[in-house]
Amino acid sequence: MLQPELVEAVLRRALQGGADFAEVYAERSKRRRMTVRSGKLEEAISGLDYGAGIRLFFGTEVVYAYTNDLTQEGLLEALETLLRAKGALGRVDARGAGGLDFRKTLPQGLHTPKVPLSEKDKRFRLERLLEAEAGARISPEIKQVEASLQEWEQEVLIANTEGTWAEEKRVRTRLFVLAVAQEGAEVQTGVAAPGKSVGLELFQLYPPGEVGAKAARQALTNLRAKPAPAGTMPVVVGNGFGGVIFHEALGHLLETTSVAKKASVLADRLGEEVASPAVTYIDDGTLPHAWGSTEVDDEGRPTERTVLIERGILKSYMVDRLGHLLTGYPMTGSGRRQDYTFAPTSRMRNTFIAPGDREVEDLIASVEFGLYAKEMGGGQVKPGSGEYNFAVQEGYLIRKGRIEEPVRGAMLVGKGPETIRKVVAVAKDWENAPGMCGSLSGMVPVEVGQPHVLVSEIVVGGRA
Amino acid sequence: MTLEEAKGYLLRRARELGLQAEVLFQEERELSLRARQGVLEEIKEARQGGIGLRVVAGGKVGYAYTEELSEAALEWALAEARDNALLSGKEGFLPEGRPLGSHDLLGEGLSAPLEAKKEAALALERTLREDPRTRSVLMGGYQEREVRVALASTQGAEGAFRTGLAGMGGSLVMGEGASLKQGWDFRLAKEFHALDPGRTALEIRERTARLLNARPLPTGRYRAYLEPKAMAGLLAVFAQALSGKNALEGKSRLLGKIGEQVASPLVTLVDDPTLERGLLSRPFDAEGTPARRTVVIEKGVFKTFLHNAETARALGQENTGHAHRRYRGTLDVAPSNLYLEPVGNLALTKGVLITEFMGLHAGANPVSLDFSLQALGLWVEEGAARYAVENFAVSGNLLELLQAVEALGDRLEWEVLGAAFGSPVVAVAELSFAGT
Repeated sequence: MLQPELVEAVLRRALQGGADFAEVYAERSKRRRMTVRSGKLEEAISGLDYGAGIRLFFGTEVVYAYTNDLTQEGLLEALETLLRAKGALGRVDARGAGGLDFRKTLPQGLHTPKVPLSEKDKRFRLERLLEAEAGARISPEIKQVEASLQEWEQEVLIANTEGTWAEEKRVRTRLFVLAVAQEGAEVQTGVAAPGKSVGLELFQLYPPGEVGAKAARQALTNLRAKPAPAGTMPVVVGNGFGGVIFHEALGHLLETTSVAKKASVLADRLGEEVASPAVTYIDDGTLPHAWGSTEVDDEGRPTERTVLIERGILKSYMVDRLGHLLTGYPMTGSGRRQDYTFAPTSRMRNTFIAPGDREVEDLIASVEFGLYAKEMGGGQVKPGSGEYNFAVQEGYLIRKGRIEEPVRGAMLVGKGPETIRKVVAVAKDWENAPGMCGSLSGMVPVEVGQPHVLVSEIVVGGRA
Repeated sequence: MTLEEAKGYLLRRARELGLQAEVLFQEERELSLRARQGVLEEIKEARQGGIGLRVVAGGKVGYAYTEELSEAALEWALAEARDNALLSGKEGFLPEGRPLGSHDLLGEGLSAPLEAKKEAALALERTLREDPRTRSVLMGGYQEREVRVALASTQGAEGAFRTGLAGMGGSLVMGEGASLKQGWDFRLAKEFHALDPGRTALEIRERTARLLNARPLPTGRYRAYLEPKAMAGLLAVFAQALSGKNALEGKSRLLGKIGEQVASPLVTLVDDPTLERGLLSRPFDAEGTPARRTVVIEKGVFKTFLHNAETARALGQENTGHAHRRYRGTLDVAPSNLYLEPVGNLALTKGVLITEFMGLHAGANPVSLDFSLQALGLWVEEGAARYAVENFAVSGNLLELLQAVEALGDRLEWEVLGAAFGSPVVAVAELSFAGT
């Protein structure tokens, strides 16, 4: 995308301007989205994102600029604007005199697609979307189905004054089906949305008709569901996307973005028991073809598998460059950003609770009266107080150890550090699922995951 | 190529290829100054721009965009848009365009010197730290955004405008004993000089501190008083049901309800893109339809969906000029400055004052309009807030909530959540609270 000579000129000028460290991040992304509704393609858009971000460190002070002009003049102009904003112009650093010796890391192709996006035409995609839509038409109550395909081919280059030169091509594909069920005035929805760092083999991994049927079954379940009860009760959280509760309640609290500022209730707690001994919590950016995997992070460091909590004991935080400078904790390859318009911050990749040794049936059987939160929607957390919430997309009541009628509209709320201590049992059936996570550096693809987990009590928001 | 050259190139090439085309440029300048511990920890200064393309080929519509302005990239975008149109099953059209003029809605609003903006960011952060209960400040800062929009089409549309916003805010954690609360707020204005860092910081402190030492709330049904910030969040969800596009797609519960009483007679909901100091005012919409005021709900009666040319034609209703599109997106419908008219009959008696909802994207369903949301708030008795309550969720349905509105305050406050949403304090007869 950019020639080493050009990048070097920009980085050297940054050092001359007094920066201790400088980084160039350049990106060219092709994105496509196709949406099918009522048996026809309703909306199709293709796009080309093209831009670069320049980040300079003056100690732990960061200045950041981005531009769509990737010529030498364009990048140097953005840099000069930054130096002016910082007010450090003219301070010449001796290191600016020497050349930069880039150490190039070559991509290993860990997540290279089997069926590249260029291999099939748009008609092939349209047919798969029509299959997904047809798959959802399982009952006359299904009044509306929307199936969309999102494809994303992102080329990045990250180079810095420490000699890092990393390039990667990241391919991601996601199928999204929304089913709307209606009976009289009652309207309910169901969603299924598999996605991976793969090409069009996504359709082999997740046959579109089955994805559609899954969304439709959920909409129908919600249509005949009663409002969830309100109050505090034991909750069995489903595997896969159920892990979103701990993504919110625990994961965000372990990012140095809030830890370094002591704005996380889990700051300064390394080595302490912060969770139930049943909990081992891992953030792994290396899982092959996972939705949140990359070979290098957006600071150009190789991604890692980071054990955050081992049998309840806090082992590590997620650390980016700035977090490292502020805390001294070693970097974990966790610097991520949505695109060139954001400076990176420490973020989760694929974060999950490791499998335990219990059977799912045991977990259910041990609950006298509670909620089975089978499928989850999204959630949110305030790391400074640990307060979190997340929505149950498909839920059932548990009575006397048995799963009974469906309930809808359940919202789980609580304080993360309290909830994670109340995890009393973890099953064997580990699974991960994709999602989008929003934070300081924008929306990034992540996986969340876990086996079935029993939490002894959570506040369930439903109808009182 | 410059944006101007790219526009000319695309329209010329579209005509050569026998396509109708509409070209939307957006260019944004952003300045963000984030202070922490008395220094500016992050300064961001940036420009971003791109071209969105909508073409009609064979009576069908397709879209593409590009941020790279090379000839190859423009040709790629044009070819993709045309392919997308030809594959499409949906009839589409570009509205007849007209000269729309060039408008400046920003003026000198952001022209203060950089040093003054830096000082404001530092002052705000300093004031956040100056409370003994402040445990940590995540950040305090200043942000401004200037946007230039230009629209041109082979059908004769041609217009441009410039607008922008300045904002100040911050985030902090406050504590008293074992009780911790994280607060965040952001104030926006059309001009840097309209912002007041000291006052904003004091308000953020006050809004956060009043939630300390919260007690659990027993599960039950209580009267709810929604502060403007909380109500704005609900209006943002409700706005999706007002979209003519969602109605057309079977995703609005308001379909078939025009002329019906859908809310309490106290409720009048208006979208006005022409408000003189409106945070998101605009002279014309993303298709070039001139902006005008639209009464959406009048004294509880549903008057109209918000429409663009396409949804208005499909539903046989009047176009309200609410076409919305970013260059990276497709044609949509969105409000600009949507607000609930103040009434001034509010008196606090007994119930829960909800200060903020959390997790709106997850806990409120824009199709069914059911919601179950974590909330923060205060217990109110005999007309005054007594103590904070926490660890609870509020649930109901937005239509039922609007029907249960019994009183509205007399002062409008605004919150930008995509569009600008305004509301006074709203009293709702009863809502369902889940706690302990």
